[in-house]
Amino acid sequence: MTGPHRRILVVEDDPETAGQLVESLAANGYQVDLAASGNEALGRGVASDYAVITIDRMLPDIDGLAVMRQLRDGGVATPVLIVSALGEVDDRVRGLRAGGDDYLVKPFSFIELVARVEALGRRSDTVVKETVLRVGDLAIDLMSRTASRRGKNISLFPREFQLLEYLVRNEGRVVSRAMLLQHVWDLHFDPSTNIIDVYVGRVRRKVDDQQAYPLIHTVRGIGYRLRAPD
Amino acid sequence: MLLTKTLTSSTFKLALIAIGTFGAIASTIFSYVYLSTSSYVRDRSDRAIMAEHLSLLGAHERKGREGLIALIQERMADKSFADSVYILVNSSGIALAGNLDVWPPAVTAATGWAEFRAPRQSPHAANPPLLRAMLETFPNGDRLLVGKDIGDLDSFANQIRAAVISGAALIVVLAGVASVLVTRRTVGRIESINAASRAIMLSGLDQRIPLRGTHDEWDRVAENLNLMLDRIETLMGEVKQASDNVAHDLRTPLTRMRGRLEKVYQSRRVGDDDQSLIDDTIADLDAVLRLFSSITRIAQIETQARQSAFRTVSLVEVASEVVELYDAAAEQDGTHLTVVGNQEVLVTGDRDLIFDAIANLVDNAIKHGRPGGQVVVANERIDGRPVISVADDGPGVPADEYEHVFKRFYRLEHSRYKPGNGLGLSLVAAVAQLHGARIEMLDNSPGLKLRLWFSAPAS
Repeated sequence: MTGPHRRILVVEDDPETAGQLVESLAANGYQVDLAASGNEALGRGVASDYAVITIDRMLPDIDGLAVMRQLRDGGVATPVLIVSALGEVDDRVRGLRAGGDDYLVKPFSFIELVARVEALGRRSDTVVKETVLRVGDLAIDLMSRTASRRGKNISLFPREFQLLEYLVRNEGRVVSRAMLLQHVWDLHFDPSTNIIDVYVGRVRRKVDDQQAYPLIHTVRGIGYRLRAPD
Repeated sequence: MLLTKTLTSSTFKLALIAIGTFGAIASTIFSYVYLSTSSYVRDRSDRAIMAEHLSLLGAHERKGREGLIALIQERMADKSFADSVYILVNSSGIALAGNLDVWPPAVTAATGWAEFRAPRQSPHAANPPLLRAMLETFPNGDRLLVGKDIGDLDSFANQIRAAVISGAALIVVLAGVASVLVTRRTVGRIESINAASRAIMLSGLDQRIPLRGTHDEWDRVAENLNLMLDRIETLMGEVKQASDNVAHDLRTPLTRMRGRLEKVYQSRRVGDDDQSLIDDTIADLDAVLRLFSSITRIAQIETQARQSAFRTVSLVEVASEVVELYDAAAEQDGTHLTVVGNQEVLVTGDRDLIFDAIANLVDNAIKHGRPGGQVVVANERIDGRPVISVADDGPGVPADEYEHVFKRFYRLEHSRYKPGNGLGLSLVAAVAQLHGARIEMLDNSPGLKLRLWFSAPAS
C-alpha cells in the first residue's frame, strides 16, 4: 500500500488509550492522526484522505455513530471502525458490517485493532474478483466451495469452508477469535469456552495434517494467521 | 370473573355487614311503629265502646230497662252508629233489643271485654265481621253487650304490617343491589390498579396506572403509586448510571493495563518465562473484563431496553446454529450433540439473546454432562406454546438446588473447578424474563433437562 493509504484517523478521548493506539498503529507502519472529540474528528475527517477512521462510541461531545453519519453526509467514504463498549452494541452498531464498516468491542487487544484496521484498509482499495484463491499449495474454489492441497481434495463442511475462506482472504494477517465469530458465524457473542479454537482445530486437522508445512498458525493471546512459509 | 371478585371482595363483605345492621335497625323501628299504631287505633275504638257502654248504663240507671231499650233503638236508627252492635237479653236469653239476632254463643263472661266473630246471619256470609264488645249483667239477670265492628281495624293493622314488611324487604333488596354496584365499581378500580401493577412487573417501569380524572381517593391512590413508580424509576436510573460509570471507569484503566502488557509482551527483550507470565496475566485480565461485560450485559437485558429489537425468530434455526457452533466442542469432549424436532416453531424475541441463552444451556450441558454422553436440543410445541429444551445425561442437579442455580456467580460444588464464571444461567434467566418465558428444570434421570417455555407469538 502506498503513502496516503497508510494514514489513519483515531478518534479517542482517553489520552493514554489514544497514545497506545497511535503507538501500536505506528509500529505497524501507519501514520496516525489523533482527534480527541467528535467535532475535531469531523474537521479532520473531511479535510484529509484516510485509509481507515477509528471512532470511540462514547465521546465527550457527539456519539461516535453520529460522527460517522455526519462524515458520510459530508461525502467521506473512508471505512470506519467503531470502538464500542459491549453494552453499547445495538442493532445500529451491528448494522455497520453491512455498510462495509466494522465494530470492535472494548476492551480489545491492540493486535486485534490492527488486524481489523488492516482488513478494513484492504477492503477499501482492493476488490479482487478471483474465483480461486491460492496460498502456497492450498487452493480454494469460491464457486464450487471446495478446497484442495497439492491437488488433493479436502472435504469440508460449509461452515468450515467459510472459516478457511476468511483465513485465506486475510492471508498473512492476524485474525482474532471475535473476528471469526463475527465474520464466519455472523454472531456477536462471547463464548465462555474455547469453541472457536476447537472449530479451528478441526479445520486445521483437515487442512494441515500430513502436509509438507502447516498453513494455519496460532497467534498467542489473539487468534490465528494463515500463511505459507517464505 | 368480575362478579366473583365482587362477591369475594372485602368491600362487599363490609356492605353486607352494613345491610345487616341497617336492616335490624329498620326492622326494630318498623315493628315499633306497627305496634304503637295498632295499639293506638285499638285504644281509640275501645274508648268509644266504653263511652257508649257508660251512656247505656246511664240510661238504665235513669229509666230502667225501658229507657235502655229506647236508647238502643235510638242508636240503631242513627247512621253515625252504623258500626256499633248491641244486644240486650233477659235472664232466659231472649233478645229484648239490639241489632244482633241472638246472644253470640261464644260470649259467656258476665262482664268485661269480649272479642268474637258475629253469629252467622246467613250461611252465605262468608266471613262474618270481627267484633269487640263490653259486657254488662244487670241485677235482674238482663245482659247487655255493647260493641263495635273491629274488622276494619284488623285489616288496617294487617295493611300496616304488610307495608312494614314489604318496605323492609325493599330496603334490603335495594341496599343489596346498591352494595353490589358500589363494590363492583371499587373492585373495578382496584382491578385496574392491579392490572397496571402486573403489567409493570411484567414489562417494565415505564408504565403508569391510568387516572380517571374524578379526583377521588382512587385517583389519589393511583397518583401516589405513579409518583412512587417515578421515584423508583429515577432511583433505578441513578443506580444504573452509577454502575455504568463504574463499568466505564474501570474498563478504561483495565484496557490501559492490557495495552501496556501487550506492548511488553511484543517487545523483543522479553524472555520466554516472562512472556508466559504476561500471557497468563493478560488472560486473567481478559477473564475479569469478560466477567464485567457479562454483568453489564445481564443488567442491560434486565432493564428490558432491548424489546425494541424483537422480531419473529425461528427456534429451529437458532437451535441448529447453536448446535453447529458447539458441534466441534462437543466432538472434542466425545459428547454426542443432536438437535431434534424440525417443526417450525416461531417466537417473538431478540434473536441474538435467544442464541446466547441456548448457547449457554448447550455449553453447560456439554461441560457438566457425562463425558461421552448425549446432549439433546429439542424444539417442541407443547399446548400451543413454543418450547426449547436442552437435556444431558450427566450427574444432573439436585432438586433442592434448582432455584439457586440461576443466581449470579452460583456454582454447584462438583463444578466449582470447571471453567465458567457462574453467570451463564443468570443470563439465561434474564433473557427468559425479557421474553416472558418460563424456565422449567426437570430430572432427565440421569441428567438435567432444562425447558424454556416461550409464549406463542401474536399472529
